[in-house]
Amino acid sequence: MHLVGRLASGDMDAAGELYDRHAGKVLALARRILRDDGDAEDVVQEVFSQAWRTATRYEAGRGTVAGWLLMIARTRAIDRLRARQSRPDTTGEVLLEAMPGTTMAPSDQAIANEQYARVRQGLVALPAEQRTALELAYFEGLSQSEIAERLAAPLGTIKTRIRTALTTLRRSLRP
Amino acid sequence: MTMDRHETIGAMLDEYALGQLSQDERRTVETHVRECDTCAADLRELVVVMEGLAHSLDPVTPPPALKQRVMSSLASQPQEPARTVVEPNAVAIPPKGVKIRRGVHPGWLAAAAVVILGLGVALYSVDATRRLLIDDVQEAQAAVADLQRRLDLNAEQADLAVSILTATDMQPVAMSGKENATGSTARAYWSPTRGLLIVANDLPMPPPGRIYQVWVIGGGTPFSAGLLGEQGVGRGMLIAPPPRGVAPGAVTVAVTDEPPGGLPAPSGSIRLAGSL
Repeated sequence: MHLVGRLASGDMDAAGELYDRHAGKVLALARRILRDDGDAEDVVQEVFSQAWRTATRYEAGRGTVAGWLLMIARTRAIDRLRARQSRPDTTGEVLLEAMPGTTMAPSDQAIANEQYARVRQGLVALPAEQRTALELAYFEGLSQSEIAERLAAPLGTIKTRIRTALTTLRRSLRP
Repeated sequence: MTMDRHETIGAMLDEYALGQLSQDERRTVETHVRECDTCAADLRELVVVMEGLAHSLDPVTPPPALKQRVMSSLASQPQEPARTVVEPNAVAIPPKGVKIRRGVHPGWLAAAAVVILGLGVALYSVDATRRLLIDDVQEAQAAVADLQRRLDLNAEQADLAVSILTATDMQPVAMSGKENATGSTARAYWSPTRGLLIVANDLPMPPPGRIYQVWVIGGGTPFSAGLLGEQGVGRGMLIAPPPRGVAPGAVTVAVTDEPPGGLPAPSGSIRLAGSL
């Protein structure tokens, strides 16, 4: 049985294993978003709690376990960031299940890792202004108009930068 | 799906993947993506990019105490039951002899019953593709749970609506508008053993100081079925057991305007009427 299946059956050892494998990534993302160790550790606890509670509903084939945990982490961390900044809107968790057809993201960790590495290389190679706009959107959960305000740039310019950045990163997925 | 809409939604996919859309906008995107392979493929790539961004950070070593804290918090938390799909027969058919209190406006309960039945059927029919609809299912389950709670409080009235609609002797009565209500539409369902359910739409406001009363006319004598409850502007509904004394056989259902509280026999103008 795979790790999440064991988790769903209430196996605490599986929970420990899941934590050992993924806590470092989850904490890194939470720290990057929140820039506060205490808050980030609270998010790590929330992520593994949510994974534990909802493992019974996890659908194999919807992507990697790490991707699942990181998506929970980003949503939780940005919600917390917004609450801290009195920005009430919550982040929409992307609905993986909304996609028809085959799996959303590669379930195979090796293929996924290769694709993630491509995204990472692509991100580093982006022009600075595109990368900044995208990072504000992804890691700080800012809306496009909030990014425009933050960077004192026209909204249309920000939209173009983010669209161009994402198009480039999507292209980088294809060998 | 028009090309305009496809392009509009396509332009929203980046923001969707980044979690920058409002809930309404998200729903719009999700609805479109389920039907549009091109956008679904685009979104799949975007989600891989998003995961790649999350993975672009180097992992850090968590403080050792954190694992202890996480593990002990898990031990005290129950796991959620696996997802289930609501069966279509969520509303029980009531036993015979259920009575309804007069004067209560139970229309919304009928609406609730219809919604529950509809949700049940909808959920059942999407079973094969439910993976695509998990979010909707969760919402629907919450809605059903909410409605079920309310129904528990007023089960008799909701049950009556269902028992009328499912009675073997139920016959629909075609209703048409009269006088100033010719633009109105209404549907009535009459079961001599269970009662009457009538839903009217686009009704004009009753004259000042008047209300709408519903009559079942059998053998030439009208019997009050009750008052038409308001269900919002121009909309009225009544669910009632069969009035006592209605002669067996063909009936006419009529709606008249009457003074508040209604009268034992009609005095006002007929606004809606239909016969079996």
